[in-house]
Amino acid sequence: MATSTQAPRQAVTPTSRRDQARRALPWLLGLVALLGALGLQSQLYSGQERTVTTIFMFVAMAEAWNLIGGFAGYASFGQVVFFGLGGYFTAVAMSQWHLTFWVSLVLSGIVGALFATVIGIPLLRLRGHYFAIATLGVAEGMREVVINLPGLTGGGAGITVPTVGRDATTPYLGNDGFYLLFLALAALSVLIAGLVSRSKFGYGLRAIHQDEDAAAAMGINTTRLKVLTFALSGFIVGLVGSSYAFQQVTIFPERLFDVDITVLMVIMVVIGGSGTVLGPLLGAVVLQFVSEFLRQHFINLHIFILGAIIIVAVLLLPQGAVNYLREARRTGEYSLLANVRRYRL
Amino acid sequence: MTSFLQATAYGLLQGGLLALVAVGFSLVWGVMNVINVAQGAFVVLGAYVGWEMHEWIGLDPFLGMFVSAAALFVLGYAVQRFLINLVVNGPIFITLLLTFGLDLLLVQGMNIVFSADYRGIRTSYASNSLTLGSIRVPVGRLLAFALAVAVTLLLVAFVNRTRTGISIMATGMDRGAARLMGIRARHVYALTYAIAAALAGMAGAMIGTVGTFNPSAAGGFTLMSFVVAVLGGLGNMYGALVGGLVIGLVEAWSGQYLPGTWVYALAFLVLIVVLVVRPTGLVGRAYYTGRQDV
Repeated sequence: MATSTQAPRQAVTPTSRRDQARRALPWLLGLVALLGALGLQSQLYSGQERTVTTIFMFVAMAEAWNLIGGFAGYASFGQVVFFGLGGYFTAVAMSQWHLTFWVSLVLSGIVGALFATVIGIPLLRLRGHYFAIATLGVAEGMREVVINLPGLTGGGAGITVPTVGRDATTPYLGNDGFYLLFLALAALSVLIAGLVSRSKFGYGLRAIHQDEDAAAAMGINTTRLKVLTFALSGFIVGLVGSSYAFQQVTIFPERLFDVDITVLMVIMVVIGGSGTVLGPLLGAVVLQFVSEFLRQHFINLHIFILGAIIIVAVLLLPQGAVNYLREARRTGEYSLLANVRRYRL
Repeated sequence: MTSFLQATAYGLLQGGLLALVAVGFSLVWGVMNVINVAQGAFVVLGAYVGWEMHEWIGLDPFLGMFVSAAALFVLGYAVQRFLINLVVNGPIFITLLLTFGLDLLLVQGMNIVFSADYRGIRTSYASNSLTLGSIRVPVGRLLAFALAVAVTLLLVAFVNRTRTGISIMATGMDRGAARLMGIRARHVYALTYAIAAALAGMAGAMIGTVGTFNPSAAGGFTLMSFVVAVLGGLGNMYGALVGGLVIGLVEAWSGQYLPGTWVYALAFLVLIVVLVVRPTGLVGRAYYTGRQDV
């Protein structure tokens, strides 16, 4: 016994050092990317700066969707409800309760997390399509509630955050300020996803994704884990919605509860690779960049082309770019056609 | 009292149309486990086909709807056979995203071809009213209701009584076993989707006759299909009929008594409560309890 435990112990030290280096690499890369994004700011003119700001916004939301949809496998098609709630909470708090933006921002995140907990407890019992439809119903229903409370939310006419004059509780941040704000949110969401991915928490979520009953049998408190994840996801999206409302100044229920925003989060995660940290980041950057390019060059056709891209991407890369590359490197099978066969009837 | 009766009549008539919009959606969900987000786009496309038939050759919309149905049948068959079948075994957001992409293509395509203007198919008789006691019923709505209910019942009979229909149900219940019995699942899936698209097209042509439509109406029809199908229980076609009538009535009554658009908030609340409390729908039992969702 003594020899058998000693032998590996000697081998441990160099391997673990290499392991440590390998584990530290993604964090270093993330830091480099963050510094790069900070440096990039001075090189952009204002139109480009706004485009990149939008990319950061979607990075944050895609990473947030990935927590519940990618890791835990619960496809929430109503994620935009947290975006809308965060945005409306901030607009109401700043215009009617005269809170500063920074206080409203934090409270919006908390509102998102609380709302996710409240709806998550009954809805996360549903599986598959039922969960997707139920969350979609929540988002659509919440939009109607916001439209029908004109005293509080301004109804369909929208609500305006005070940014000038005496009513302005926080001065408008401007292009540069919002660039940094959304960059911070994107970095925060990637950081959270990275921490979740390597923690026991993250492995619990993956277990739920693969087989929820087996996960429960292994002693994972599945309900608690799912609700916590949903709340975490709602928290991030609430922060993003809050920042978006301040950036847009005037917000409307149709935009803040737009189902297309949910679908964009989902498609970014799917194209990039669900259940990975890098995938949603990659998907958000690529898709938002392509979408912006199309909007500028094919003004009438861009949604049409986007629809075609979604279809082709789903057919050719159903598991996402990152997962595809990982599998391809492991198996040496790079053909995309083999990919098409994966989910074929 | 008159206004209540009038609202009830209107709600029932509207409910029949909603049932026809949703029954195909329910069928596709039940048999293939696919949430067809493009359902609303099929409805609007059907309305445009009916409209074109009426403009070009003066075809009566109640005949033109069969042209709509035929066109959408072909489109639906091709879409399932060559697109959705490729990913039908994937996780749910894959099929959902695929049909969403299709929805974007169709809605934007119609925006480009037909513009975003509201249109309606105008006939000489559809807006005439029959008077029954104190309530007035437009002829067009009555005809549309009767046809919608008849088609829904025909679909139920088709699925339960014919060989093809039974093979659709069998494939929905256990695809592996169905294939072992010699059923070609690819063809059956395509056929199912084609039937759903055809019924949506038919409903669209009728909706175009009794009201107005434009490409962005598609999203509303899709959401209504969700609500109606869930209320009725997925894959349950009688259920879709009941769900449609219930939603039609709720919509009409609350339009009378609730301010604003609270009715939609109410509809989604009902949807969520039904999903949580009774996911098999209001009527009957679950069709596919034994199925393993692959």
